[in-house]
Amino acid sequence: MAELRRDPVVGRWVIVDTDHPNKPEDFEYEQYIQKGGNCPFCYGNESQTPPEIEAFRSHGTARNTPGWQVRVVPNKFPALQIEGELDRRGMGIYDMSNGIGAHEVLIETPYHAKDISDLLNQEVENYLRMCCRRGIDLVKDRRFKYIMVFRNYGSAAGASLEHPHTQIIALPMVPKNVAEEIKGAEDYFEYRERCIFCDMIRQETQEKERVILENKHFLSFCPFVSRFPFEIWIIPKKHSGYFCHTPDEAIPDLASILKETIAKVKKVFVNLSYNFIIHSSPINGDGDVEYYHWHIEFMPKLMRVAGFEWGTGFYIDPTSPELAAKYLKAIKE
Amino acid sequence: MPELRKDPIIGRWVIIATERAKRPDQFSTQPEQGPLEKACPFCEGNESQTPPEIYAIRPRSTPRNTSGWELRVVSSIAPFLRIEGDLERRGKGLYDLMNGVGAHEIIIETNQHTANMADLSEDQIARVITCYIDRIMDLERDKRFKYVLVFKNYGWSAGGGRVKHSRSQLIATPVNPKRVKEELAGARFYYDYHERCVFCDLIKQELASKERVILELDGFVAVTPFAARFPFEIWILPKKHSCDFISLDMDARRHLGRVMKTVLSKLKKGLNDPAYNYVIHTAPFRREKLGYWKSIDYDYHWHIEIMPRLTRVAGFEWGTGFYICPLPPENAAQFLREVKV
Repeated sequence: MAELRRDPVVGRWVIVDTDHPNKPEDFEYEQYIQKGGNCPFCYGNESQTPPEIEAFRSHGTARNTPGWQVRVVPNKFPALQIEGELDRRGMGIYDMSNGIGAHEVLIETPYHAKDISDLLNQEVENYLRMCCRRGIDLVKDRRFKYIMVFRNYGSAAGASLEHPHTQIIALPMVPKNVAEEIKGAEDYFEYRERCIFCDMIRQETQEKERVILENKHFLSFCPFVSRFPFEIWIIPKKHSGYFCHTPDEAIPDLASILKETIAKVKKVFVNLSYNFIIHSSPINGDGDVEYYHWHIEFMPKLMRVAGFEWGTGFYIDPTSPELAAKYLKAIKE
Repeated sequence: MPELRKDPIIGRWVIIATERAKRPDQFSTQPEQGPLEKACPFCEGNESQTPPEIYAIRPRSTPRNTSGWELRVVSSIAPFLRIEGDLERRGKGLYDLMNGVGAHEIIIETNQHTANMADLSEDQIARVITCYIDRIMDLERDKRFKYVLVFKNYGWSAGGGRVKHSRSQLIATPVNPKRVKEELAGARFYYDYHERCVFCDLIKQELASKERVILELDGFVAVTPFAARFPFEIWILPKKHSCDFISLDMDARRHLGRVMKTVLSKLKKGLNDPAYNYVIHTAPFRREKLGYWKSIDYDYHWHIEIMPRLTRVAGFEWGTGFYICPLPPENAAQFLREVKV
């Protein structure tokens, strides 16, 4: 018998197939094979991108030239524009606003073909430090309410350029799913005066069934209510509302758990495309948030999501998170 | 300048990316390279290859599970949910769960090996609509179920299987899907304040501005929604207020058949036979219970949402519910209006 599981934060129901679960070899996913060609993110092609916003680069190298380790540039085809005042207006029953926002691209490494799992720990740490720095910088712009950090890796995950990169979008409003997540977490906190994510971490570390990796500061696990097969969350064990406030001493742990988790998934599924999104608190208000807990949601692209799921918000997960965690745990470095 | 638009019903923001917008004809698809087709269990003569039929339109003289039918409903070979058993709601620490009780049925729309619903006749589509209604009414009698989702996955990238035989699916669920709940809540909220149905207001505004109207025919209107999530997203709505799809009378079913055929044919011709999904959004079963609200008959308005698969949905759209639509719906509507079928 399949199970219907309810997400404790947003209340979404998911069908988890526990009867005839898909094993890793059952997935027919689109293989991601790099094609090469001219790349605006490689060394020597710095002039092909808009001028850099910020970079970690070797001493003595000039802006917009080679010698960088991590480089941030505006998106050449931004979904939102940085200049202008926010102009919200109505149109009959409809509401709209002009598209003010920031859309930045963070080039993670000079190496065209290296995924996070192929980098040195120290390189991943620098990448994460840069993500935090950009977040802290964008928070200063009072027009923005939410900063979204996400990564599309591979063609099936929607990446239009091969060279590994992360995108940062600052929005003048809080996206719907985030608002729902926060509302759910707030309701839970109001009743119990505890953070729902802290409770989740407690239950997961006790049950251990869904845990993949754990170190001093972080936990990676397959959530009880996974929408997608092999969905993974990486979460700080100590309560923290904002990703960009991650203390520097926790960065090495985050880098190693992120790198190792991705390496495990990519051993189970070679040439995989995937996405991850950093879920963090909205940025209005600078005090620490008691009820919300930032985390990374990692989603492998193993399935063609059917219309039913788009139209209804009702998901079917063909591999239970317990089974997925078992496969991932069994992978040895 | 790109625009941020808000869905008036559920409040989702969408970026309409006017800057990097493509022309509508640039979305035209390449013929899909799906995997090789398997032998078709849905064609006439292969009835023994499917689970036994639940419902069929066939002459009285022909026995069940044999040739001679025009439309047939069978259980899914690999059902997500099973019809037998109790719900057994339970908790597990922080988490809630219940048994996967439900129904998962396949509606085989024709005995011919036709792939796209656009190539069925208006009468055939009207029969499919009648079948949806009959099945929903039958499943409503099962008190364990709260909602029936009727949907179609056409084409490989829309989640269609290896077999290209025109069919739809339905799932009866013991819970109301999240998206449905949000829509109901949004519609109720609007109704509480305005004492009008938000969808009726939407139809009125769309018909007045005409910018996003694809066609208006026989009591139905097909529009591209103001806050479209996807290029060429289309909604088909009945002009006359009704919360429930199953209330359609025989004439209206024929009319809807014609409207669907026209809209799907425009998509097929204009965009080179793209993959698409559609989902019927209708009111949940209305049984008197605690928390049931009586205004649902007035505040909700059933409709069909069609989503062509022309762009890849990137992960962040999944994760955040924030979509970037690379084509303004006004341009999509204009393009589809001009496609002659």
